[in-house]
Amino acid sequence: MAFLELNGVSAFYGKAQALHDVNISVEAGEIVAIVGANGAGKSTLLDSIMGLTKSTGEILIENKSIAGLSCASIVGNGVGYAPERFNLFPYMSVQDNLLVGAYTAREDVKKNLHIVHNLFPRLKERSQQETSTQSGGERQMVSLGRALMSSPRLLLVDEPTIGLAPKVCTEIAQALRRMRDDLGATVLITEQNANFAMTLAQRLYVLESGSVRAQGTVDELRDDSRLTDAYFGH
Amino acid sequence: MNLRWYHFALWALFILVMALIPELVSKGTLRIIIFANFLAIFAISWDVLSGRTGYISFGHPFLIGIGAYTSAILTKRFDVPIEYAIPAAVLMTMVGGIIVFLPALRIKGSYFALVTLAFMELIYQLVQVVRPDLTGGTRGMSGIETLTRGAVNGYYLSASLMVVVALSMWLLMRTQLGTALSAIGMNEESVRGSGLSTTRLKLFAFLTSAFVAGLGGAFYVHYLGSIAPRALFDINFLFTIIVAALIGGASTIIGPVIGAFFLTFLLEYLRPYLPGAERYFIYGMIALVLYMYEPKGLIQLFSNAWNSLFSRRESAGNQNSDQAGKQSDAL
Repeated sequence: MAFLELNGVSAFYGKAQALHDVNISVEAGEIVAIVGANGAGKSTLLDSIMGLTKSTGEILIENKSIAGLSCASIVGNGVGYAPERFNLFPYMSVQDNLLVGAYTAREDVKKNLHIVHNLFPRLKERSQQETSTQSGGERQMVSLGRALMSSPRLLLVDEPTIGLAPKVCTEIAQALRRMRDDLGATVLITEQNANFAMTLAQRLYVLESGSVRAQGTVDELRDDSRLTDAYFGH
Repeated sequence: MNLRWYHFALWALFILVMALIPELVSKGTLRIIIFANFLAIFAISWDVLSGRTGYISFGHPFLIGIGAYTSAILTKRFDVPIEYAIPAAVLMTMVGGIIVFLPALRIKGSYFALVTLAFMELIYQLVQVVRPDLTGGTRGMSGIETLTRGAVNGYYLSASLMVVVALSMWLLMRTQLGTALSAIGMNEESVRGSGLSTTRLKLFAFLTSAFVAGLGGAFYVHYLGSIAPRALFDINFLFTIIVAALIGGASTIIGPVIGAFFLTFLLEYLRPYLPGAERYFIYGMIALVLYMYEPKGLIQLFSNAWNSLFSRRESAGNQNSDQAGKQSDAL
């Protein structure tokens, strides 16, 4: 049984269709990446799972439908979301940003804060710093930390490396692996950076114009020259 | 909640100063401070809603008006005792808060501001036209039962109310709930993405704001003993509330109190020189200059001064310990 399953999911912005019958499944404890260019529908896909964009089709977590639920209920079902470009609260401290993420998991606040500080010690050192004054890498850490504060079993991360230096990307990849290995979280990321996705994920889905064009393990897709030419540029 | 010793010290000092003011100033000044207290309550009410959530209300007198008119009508027309009229007025204002909240489910930004302005105009026209036998029509009402007599009693009433409102709102906004409300003002989508119900949070902000506005409006009318729709629903009154909150420092609760006192005294001291509406031009200019150089308001200036004082002491302490260290090394 897949942990997350999307069956025939479509999404619309007015009359424009952003997703076309997307089928995706993620097993428990996996790291899966959805790769694609700008406008491929990656963020829409994650927004649809989170109930932030209206969609049709079936979205199941542990075989239970979450389609039509509010975002608050979906987070309550154990899904954490780190949106694209961090989407932080710029004039709040790191600590307060993290606490907003803990709103739905009040009893675990201290424990979760400890986990986040353990993963990203820099956030503990700078807990009172306004996030608007932080670097891109630190903001991404806050974004991931905030998503972790609700004790998610499934973590959705939208383009975690966007605009970040290679060294920071490596740190982020390590943190995401630790989230899976140490915390037992299942991770679904979207990425434009195919190399990063192939380094981190076990399986990939290639999204183009709102449709899944290819899927498979990293090795399978790495050998697919047509896909690498089309999406990975090498 | 992260309370520090100096929070308690500053609040204790503030309450002490407020308690001693009648001993220190003339009755004329005391009457000015009474208005500053009520303006502070209205500005706090605006701040809880607009300063926090970013839903800018241009119709706050709509809520204040519901509180003031409900209590005035109940006491004057139906002989309801004040102790029942005021809670009823607050409840009615909270219903008004839900009415203002409904557009916020669909619109935000300048559209929301315009809708709230329309609410103010709507109630202004309604109280003049609908049942003038109850509302007093364009002339309003006078001879409304007052809670106190004399400047000193009026001062203690308004100051107590203001301090209670300010302290309770300040404490509330330091909770996780207050943080979440501030987060809405910065990035509502992201708050939703974090699994919070923004609808419930906004409803809470609107109801709390309406509660304070209704309370302030009801007490205000029972302090004045009269109500005049032209003054209550005047655009200058609306802007005075907003500017008081902004000039003092929005989203801080204490900022609006500072702003209310600053504006009230500024307008009063300008009165001999500029008796007309030109005074508002002056405070507009001051607000403009302040925004350009310190957008976070007067409270930030105080905060900067406080921080520099403490960091200077700290660095002086460090220097002393460095010197002591060097001396002991030399020995």
